[in-house]
Amino acid sequence: MEKKLSEMDFDEEGTVKEIEENLKKQVAGMGIREGKNVRMATKQPIKGPVVVEVDKSFTSLGLGIADKIVVEVE
Amino acid sequence: MKILLMGHPNVGKSVFFNRLTGAKVLESNYPGTTVDFMKGWMRLEGEDVELIDVPGAFSLEPKDRAEEVAVKMLAENKDSVIVCVLDASKIERGLYLALEIIEKGYPAVVALNMWDVAEDKNIRIDVEKLERILGVPVVPTTAISGEGFKELVSKIKEAAPVKIEKIIESAGGRESAAVS
Repeated sequence: MEKKLSEMDFDEEGTVKEIEENLKKQVAGMGIREGKNVRMATKQPIKGPVVVEVDKSFTSLGLGIADKIVVEVE
Repeated sequence: MKILLMGHPNVGKSVFFNRLTGAKVLESNYPGTTVDFMKGWMRLEGEDVELIDVPGAFSLEPKDRAEEVAVKMLAENKDSVIVCVLDASKIERGLYLALEIIEKGYPAVVALNMWDVAEDKNIRIDVEKLERILGVPVVPTTAISGEGFKELVSKIKEAAPVKIEKIIESAGGRESAAVS
């Protein structure tokens, strides 16, 4: 099933499927690229940032950015 | 010759700077402690060379002020050797930046810093293989205890520019490089 990264539940895992074109370079340096495995580590209330685990390290993303990344979850 | 210390925020560049120059730059365990750059001198085989502590950057596409400074410094010092400081426990991200720097044609040395942390996390890195693929010297270091610094300094002179195509080829071609 596909969903936005921002819609992932806590501790849910998925594979990055699509990243909005103009965002690709911005998140690549943080380790988020298409085909990467990600796990939702922390979600904040009231449109707060999300923290995802990728390659054993954590990266926080603004919700606006997480909205533009599509992941495939089981 | 100049030496630039580059790497992600919070990988220990300032600790490197202090160790190599004997200076006392503020270090703290917060990313982005160095927003401006620091300059200092170190002795390399009897020669005084300038060492620059560049602010932390995730990539060479500037997104904040610290990254802007980093990219500008790189552009203004075309004749320098880059010491890419990586957090060995988060090696994948660091290599992205290292490859960007190598792709721009700078001679580089890769320092796998926080080697002790990576070992604690049970992350094993085949240094020789990485060195073969990248074609630049790769040295494991633990900056806070000073481990690996002698070797690092001795390898700075071995740094030479490498063509990115060569690295893709050594990694097993474009396809396998993309998945592994």
